[in-house]
Amino acid sequence: MITLSGIRNALWCVVAFGIVACAATPMPADKIAVAKSSVDRAEQAQAAQFAQVELTTARNKLAAAQSAAEHRDAELAARMADQADVDAQLAESTARAKQQEQLVTEMDASLRDLREEATRHSGAGATTPQPQTSSPQQ
Amino acid sequence: MKRISNAFVFASLVAALAGCATKPADDGQLVQARAAIAQAEADPNVTKYAPTELDRARKLLINAEGAAKEKGATNVNTSHYAYLATQTAHVAEQRAHEQVAGARLKAGEVERQKILLSARENETQQAQAVATQARNELQNAQAETAQAQQEAQRLAAQLENVQASQTDRGLVLTLDDVLFDTGRAELKSGAQRSLEQIAAFLSEHPERNVQIEGFTDNQGPDDYNIELSQKRADAVAMAIIRRGVDAQRVRAMGYGEEFPVASNDNSGSRQLNRRVEIIVSKDDKAIPARAGAGAP
Repeated sequence: MITLSGIRNALWCVVAFGIVACAATPMPADKIAVAKSSVDRAEQAQAAQFAQVELTTARNKLAAAQSAAEHRDAELAARMADQADVDAQLAESTARAKQQEQLVTEMDASLRDLREEATRHSGAGATTPQPQTSSPQQ
Repeated sequence: MKRISNAFVFASLVAALAGCATKPADDGQLVQARAAIAQAEADPNVTKYAPTELDRARKLLINAEGAAKEKGATNVNTSHYAYLATQTAHVAEQRAHEQVAGARLKAGEVERQKILLSARENETQQAQAVATQARNELQNAQAETAQAQQEAQRLAAQLENVQASQTDRGLVLTLDDVLFDTGRAELKSGAQRSLEQIAAFLSEHPERNVQIEGFTDNQGPDDYNIELSQKRADAVAMAIIRRGVDAQRVRAMGYGEEFPVASNDNSGSRQLNRRVEIIVSKDDKAIPARAGAGAP
C-alpha cells in the first residue's frame, strides 16, 4: 500500500541522496586555488633559479590536479592540489633560504675585506709590520 | 584450458606486482616521513624558528599513521599524508635556514658598523695625534724664537756699540765703526768688553757657528774697501778666537761696499754702512749665504 507520506518520505530520500552525492563529488576548486597561489609565491621568490626541482614538481602536481578536476576525479584532484601546495611551499622556502645564505656568504667576504682594510689603515699609522726577508737557514 | 591457465597466471602476476608495489612503498614513505620529522626535530633552529611548520608536519604524520592502521583502500591516503608530512618537515627546515641566515645578516651588519666605527675612531685619533704633534712643534718653534729674541736682547743690553737682532740667518751682532779708526783694521780698546762678552756667549753655545762679515761705505776704490772690510772681519775673528772660541767655528769675509744697510748719501748713513756683522747660527747648522746684492 502506497501512502502519501510514504511517497513524500521517498522523495525526501531522493533529494537527500542527491545533496549528499553532490557534496561528495564537487571539484576541490579551493584546494587548487591555494596550490596555485603557493606556486605563484614560489615563482616570485625566484624558485625557478634557486629551487628548480621543487618548483617543477609543484607545477606538475598542480597540472595533474587541474587535469583530474577536468576529468571529474575530485579525490585525485584534492590530493594532487595538496601535494602541489606543500611542494610549492618547499620550493619557496628553499629559494628564500638559499638567497639569504648567498647574502651571508657575500657579507662574510665583504666583512673580511673591511677588517683587512681597517687593520691595514691603523697599521700604516702606527707600526708597519716588517716583511720577513730572511728565510731560515737549514 | 590453456587460455584459462594463461589468464590466471597473468592475473596472479598483476596481483603480486600490485601488492609488492603498494604495500612496502607505503611503509617506505611512512619511514621517510618519520625520519624527516626526526631530523627536523633534532635541529634546535627548527624548533626555535619554525615550530608551526614542524607541528603541522607532526599532525600530517599522525594522519598518515592513522590511515595506515585503517583497513581497505587506505594505502593511497597513507602515502599521501606521509608525503605531505615529509615535505612539510623539509619546509620547516628551510624556514629555519632562512631565519638563521637572516639573523647572521643582522649580526653581520652590526659587526660592519662596529668595524667602521672603530676605523673612524682610529682615524680621528691619528688625526688628533698629528694635530697635537703639529701644535707642539709650533709651540716649540715659538718658544725657540722667543728664547732667541730674549737671548739677542739680553746680549744686546750687555754690549756697547753693538746692535743685536734675530734674523732668518741667525743672531746678527752689528759692530759700529766707532770701534775702528778711520782706514784702520785694528780694534780699539773700547771694543774689548763687547768682544769678551760675545766670546763668552759663543763659549756657552759651542755648537753654534760664527760668520764675520766686514762692510764699508762707498767712499774710495772697491779693492781698497774690500781689503779693509776683510781685514776688519779678520781682526774681529782673531779677537774672538783669542778669547777661546774654536777657530773651526769662525769664518771671516769682507764684502767692501756691497750690501749697504743705508743710502751712502750723507755721513750718517755712510757711518751705518761701515760695520762688521757677526752672524751666529741658530744651532749646529751652516749659516745661509747672503741672498743677492742690493740695498735694503
